[in-house]
Amino acid sequence: MTYFIQLLISGLVVGSIYALSALGFVLIYKSSRVLNIAHGQIIASGAFIAYALTVYAGVPLIISFFLSMVITFFLSMAVERVFLRRLIGEPIISVIMVTIGLMSIIDGIIYLTPFGSTNMSFPKFFPPEPLNILGATVSWTQVVGVVLTAIIIAALSWFFKNSTLGISMRAVSDDQLASMSIGISVPKVFGLAWALAGLTAAAAGGIIGNITGLNFDTLHAFGIIVFPVVILGGLDSIGGAVVAGVIMGLIQQFAAGYLDGNWGLQGTAEVLPYIILLILLLFKPHGLFGTHEIERV
Amino acid sequence: MRKMLMVTTIGLMAACFAVSTAQAETYKLAISLAITGPTSDAGAPYAKGVEDYVKYANDEKMLGDDMIEVLIRDDQYKTDVTKRNFEEFLDEGIPIYLNYSTGSTLALKKDFEEEKIATIPASFHAGNLVDSNYIFLPIQSYSNQVIALSEYVVENSKGGVPKVAMFIHPSAFGRGPVEDTKGAVEKGLKMDIVEVVEHGKDLDTTATLQRLMSKGVQYIICHTVQSPVAVLLKDAERLGIVASSFGEEGKITFLGAHYTGGNDLIDLAPTASENFYWTTGYTLTSEPGPGTDLQLKIAKKYGRDDKTANSHNYTNGMMVTQVAIESMRRAKEHGKEINKETLYDELNAMNGDNAYDPLTTTGPVTFSKDDHEGVDKLQIYRVTDGVFKSVGEPFVPKYVVKN
Repeated sequence: MTYFIQLLISGLVVGSIYALSALGFVLIYKSSRVLNIAHGQIIASGAFIAYALTVYAGVPLIISFFLSMVITFFLSMAVERVFLRRLIGEPIISVIMVTIGLMSIIDGIIYLTPFGSTNMSFPKFFPPEPLNILGATVSWTQVVGVVLTAIIIAALSWFFKNSTLGISMRAVSDDQLASMSIGISVPKVFGLAWALAGLTAAAAGGIIGNITGLNFDTLHAFGIIVFPVVILGGLDSIGGAVVAGVIMGLIQQFAAGYLDGNWGLQGTAEVLPYIILLILLLFKPHGLFGTHEIERV
Repeated sequence: MRKMLMVTTIGLMAACFAVSTAQAETYKLAISLAITGPTSDAGAPYAKGVEDYVKYANDEKMLGDDMIEVLIRDDQYKTDVTKRNFEEFLDEGIPIYLNYSTGSTLALKKDFEEEKIATIPASFHAGNLVDSNYIFLPIQSYSNQVIALSEYVVENSKGGVPKVAMFIHPSAFGRGPVEDTKGAVEKGLKMDIVEVVEHGKDLDTTATLQRLMSKGVQYIICHTVQSPVAVLLKDAERLGIVASSFGEEGKITFLGAHYTGGNDLIDLAPTASENFYWTTGYTLTSEPGPGTDLQLKIAKKYGRDDKTANSHNYTNGMMVTQVAIESMRRAKEHGKEINKETLYDELNAMNGDNAYDPLTTTGPVTFSKDDHEGVDKLQIYRVTDGVFKSVGEPFVPKYVVKN
């Protein structure tokens, strides 16, 4: 039973971090229908900014972590303003190509710094002793990851439901032309979507960096690793990202725990999430909670 | 009279200069590797090792008045770029080539054969040597490294037959040693390989570790890069299953081949890497000696930071350059022209009394027509108080596989 609980908790933890990493994709897609291919690079940037503030500037880790979210918020907003604002109204594929270019630019900038080709670790911050939950162990980093994901999701849900800006973002997501006609600034909404995506990416980067250590390849790969989560949840659904993240996390852990190494099976933890994704997409092509658009002609 | 003397002196000086210029040659040494992109954490210090040793060789006039020009190109770990770089290097007339990744070495193997050019890669994949005459591995292959670790487990494990799991990279690089290690077991190495785990981009390896624990695994031999090993070790530390002494009962002892270890692993998993056992054929700056003194001197001379100076990848880059330049020096010493053919012959003759000791390795480099694995001796290191320390003396694995 302890084994089952351990896998369950590990699955929830990993799933939460997947969800947090996937949020940036969803926020941008939700408002502008653009897939940001450079999302993994922004995750890595957030982690490196937190590290630089802590180690080079001497800022306490916890403050660096939140500062990195603020800095990435404004950096992403600037990226949208400089590179993407002028592409409003252009075909989506053009915008996606620009995000591919952005990925190369951020890669290049990071490779010019020591972060591109060096391995590092955040200074020890959390207690080394793990938490014990019903016989299962969880590290403090993992607990913080889950709590932070919950707080960010709750805050974003409140924001989209109750604030004027959030409602404006939903309106733009629904119909850009109609939104403009009632006075909503679509460029401002796009900028905010990118900024919020940057903020969540930095949070994810900080958590992942604490778990895996700071290695650029490993960090930016999470931009791709969480892609199935985004597809499964529905590209424009925040709740979907959370549910899909947890599903993926649980599938991976239970597959690794019960299938891999038995009956000649290997690597099911890597493959099974994709198989389930394909099967689910057969029945729900827009993902679990994605918007099903019907066009009448 | 004075005017005539001056003219004669200037004329003589000009003639001498012309003669010396005509005699001094410049030889090109080239490498294509990942300075950016995947594995650049290894590639960047490796490139610096190559660059610095060439500068050092020129400054020390190792080839007399002849100079070596080094061509270093970033291929971002992309085989197509490596191939393009290699073709450009051939146009430059290189007599010897340094390559990097397993993928590109396997892909370009036929090109090396066609061009008949000696190639020393950073990859120690045993498969590089299959159907190849021109690839020279600097040290023992990954297969032999894993076999060496397995032998160490068997010799030092108490109780019955040790239960071992392999934790490998999901690629040709990672899978290479699996069959060779199984072969060693078939030949008599008394060890039970319980499971071979190919890792992914894992955030949590709890399930894997607990599954292996439930199967009674006592040792995990890793053959991958540092990052996944760091996650594995951190999870094992959290679960409280890391053996504090070799083979501690009820715990797991972790071991790894060349690219799993070094200071990068300690940087990624500072406390969790304690008691990690690692094998390589290189000397480490945490164990000072003539080779590491030379390495630190060169790094300091050319303004490298501490991290680079103490990186085993810097040592690795330096060492392959040492071997390449030594082959040039020997060809010159033997009165031969320095070209692809003579350097290939010099490398193959590097054995017996002609073995080359670069000091940066745990034994001499010994190549021959039938043996293209350079340093035969491997050293086991263990992380103790945050640094790698030698365990025992360098040794040659008994169940070694030669291709």
